[in-house]
Amino acid sequence: MYFSNISFGQYIPTGSFIHKLDPRAKLFSLLIIVSFIFPAKNFVQVCLWTAILAGVVYVSKISWLALLKAARPVFFLIAFAFIFNIISGYFRNELIQSFFIGLFTSMRLFVLMLFAVILPLTTTPLELSDGLDNLLRPLEKIKFPAHECAMMIGMALRFIPLLMHETDKIIRAQLSRGARLDQGNLFQKIKSFFPVLIPLFIIIFRRADEIATAMEARGYDGGEGRTRRRPLIWKFKDTLVILISVLISVIIFFS
Amino acid sequence: MQNVSFIINKGERVAILGHNGSGKSTLVKILGGLFDPDEGACFIEGIDIREMDFKSLRKKIGMVFQDPENQIVAAMVEDDVAFAPENQGLSPDEIQIRVDMALAATNMRHKQNSSVEALSGGEKQRVAIAGALAADVECLILDEPTAMLDPESRFKIEKVLRYLHKEKMTIIQITHQIDAENFDDIQKIIVLSHGEVKWQGTCEEFWNAAEELGFDLPDELKLKRYFEAKNITIEKINPSVSLHSTSPLRRGDEKLATPDKGRGTAPAVEGLFKIENLSFGYDKNSYALKNITSEIFSGQWLSIIGRTGSGKSTLVQHLNALYKIQEGKIIFDGENLPQKGEEVHSLRQKVGLVFQHPEDQLFSSTVKDELAFAPKNAGFKGSKLDEAIFYGLECVGLDKNFLERSPIALSGGERRLVAIASVLSAKPECVVLDEPLAGLDASYQKKILSMLGNLRDEGKTVITISHDLNMALNFSDRILILRHGEKIKEGSPYEVIDELMKVLSPETWPDVLRISNEINKVNKNFPLLYNYQDFISCISQI
Repeated sequence: MYFSNISFGQYIPTGSFIHKLDPRAKLFSLLIIVSFIFPAKNFVQVCLWTAILAGVVYVSKISWLALLKAARPVFFLIAFAFIFNIISGYFRNELIQSFFIGLFTSMRLFVLMLFAVILPLTTTPLELSDGLDNLLRPLEKIKFPAHECAMMIGMALRFIPLLMHETDKIIRAQLSRGARLDQGNLFQKIKSFFPVLIPLFIIIFRRADEIATAMEARGYDGGEGRTRRRPLIWKFKDTLVILISVLISVIIFFS
Repeated sequence: MQNVSFIINKGERVAILGHNGSGKSTLVKILGGLFDPDEGACFIEGIDIREMDFKSLRKKIGMVFQDPENQIVAAMVEDDVAFAPENQGLSPDEIQIRVDMALAATNMRHKQNSSVEALSGGEKQRVAIAGALAADVECLILDEPTAMLDPESRFKIEKVLRYLHKEKMTIIQITHQIDAENFDDIQKIIVLSHGEVKWQGTCEEFWNAAEELGFDLPDELKLKRYFEAKNITIEKINPSVSLHSTSPLRRGDEKLATPDKGRGTAPAVEGLFKIENLSFGYDKNSYALKNITSEIFSGQWLSIIGRTGSGKSTLVQHLNALYKIQEGKIIFDGENLPQKGEEVHSLRQKVGLVFQHPEDQLFSSTVKDELAFAPKNAGFKGSKLDEAIFYGLECVGLDKNFLERSPIALSGGERRLVAIASVLSAKPECVVLDEPLAGLDASYQKKILSMLGNLRDEGKTVITISHDLNMALNFSDRILILRHGEKIKEGSPYEVIDELMKVLSPETWPDVLRISNEINKVNKNFPLLYNYQDFISCISQI
């Protein structure tokens, strides 16, 4: 209820082939796939991508239920795209045509999102941030804070479930005190959420402060001189996965 | 903090004691090299901390803080424990050895591949200790490591600390909580008060000075002394008649309590809530509550007892319709409990719910606004609103000059009181509190206990969820025991004591109960008691 059931793509350990891939390979492949789904022109292409998605899900040993559950926050967006198309079609007297365009747009978005959700489900936050750290490293030459960025993303992934839980608890507490969180016009609605937002921000700042202290106490002094328990090792299968992704993308694109 | 000096030797286990706001946490940060002192210095093996380089200092001292959530940086257990050795730049093999060692020392090897989210609070804290140990430190500083944990987890942490102490680790533990079972392992105690060292000495010396220093002796120790003074041993206690029937079940020096009547002044007859066959599941496959049938009487104090995950919170959140009923029925004040619409709002005014750590939910800029929130939502206006605010403040015993202060600037204990007052100000008929004593020092615990007693005596229904058996047995009228979502038993403390002892492990029993149980094992005629006074009067009858 309220917030507690939303899982924002938390890691599910199944030990599959996809889990064992180098996070950089997964990030790269995702980038390739996503940039080829975006320009998909027709239903056939989207259907082909859906078939590829089904294959990836099968190999990852992650259940469809878990995948759909993790993707739930974006359903709203997809439904919005669909309804928006129909409404605009209605006013242009092209209802049937816009129904199909809407269906196509939202299906494309749907497949794209599910591909994206597979990444955090099969990659631990640490691997993900290590992978990003490594990929962004070259940018440090132009003073881009690559390590800090990657660390931040990793920490955010670690703390999202906790903050969800925290938000849920605050909502319940304020409802218990008779708060009306869903009444009035937009301005009143935003104002009525202050009793939730203010304690949440206080908690976030306090946590951030304490975490920084705890990290310092464990000898964290930035990325310099840090080693890894499981250093990223690029294997042949990682190269293979990227090649396959490129191949599939190109074939579907020109089909 | 002023003019603080002390010496801690290698391999010693030291406790730094002090009430909330005595400067403990500041001291911890100075000892750990995270703050620099304004004057004076802190030396480790003769070297000023400020002159040590960061890396070598962090290999000497490991730190563990109160909230495990704020120390764990990675989402997986092993990844987190590896954080410190990774910062030291070790090779992958060396890191793995450190991780394995640290997890073994904290008894967490079985969870090495688990995600942090899936662990209990106590397990998280053990991972945090492992995370500090993995840096291969010589000294461990812990800032109230068990303050947020349930008694069973506390006991497990204590076991880990004992083991580490035996392995020659220097341990400095900051705490406000004194238990006899914790302290027999500690060699030195330093008492802090208002930023100064008020007292220091050995554990043995501390017990003699404890009352003067403003600390309560644990019952176990008081009894030990009583036994020594009267030259009694457990085996010698041999009542010839059964004391069960004559045992004076008393709360302090107040009136007698019989098992079927409430201790409050209001006659307890009316059932405020009637719960019939209530079941609830978060998903289709598992039940959080199974077939609960119970009656909660108005004007009584009910304690709901059960281990973590037994369904206590889920049950009470049904009482003000935060959870909607899935199966079964709840009758409130003779009518079906409302589930939606405006009626839910008026229900929430009548049934106030105070969550665990309610001070985290304060949001107003003044205490007055905070206390006005609930009554305003319930439709109080003008002089009625002012009166409600004063009522809330009065209930928790804070005076009027608190009204203009900012809740954020108050101490932890005061914030808890304000948070409770912010629920009471709506003048509920029934107030439910989830772990109201958690993390507070003894003086605030006493304040809240007497406040709850007063509310009950006013005729309000009080419901508490707690791990604290002392509160349940010695203060509440009735106890409801839950296990895995099922009701095990309900009744007066006297009626449910056997089941309580089965559901909860002996480490979590009150000292008096544990000792009377030991006597009971030798001699069946001795009753199971949980109150110190009762125990003494029982012994003196023999």
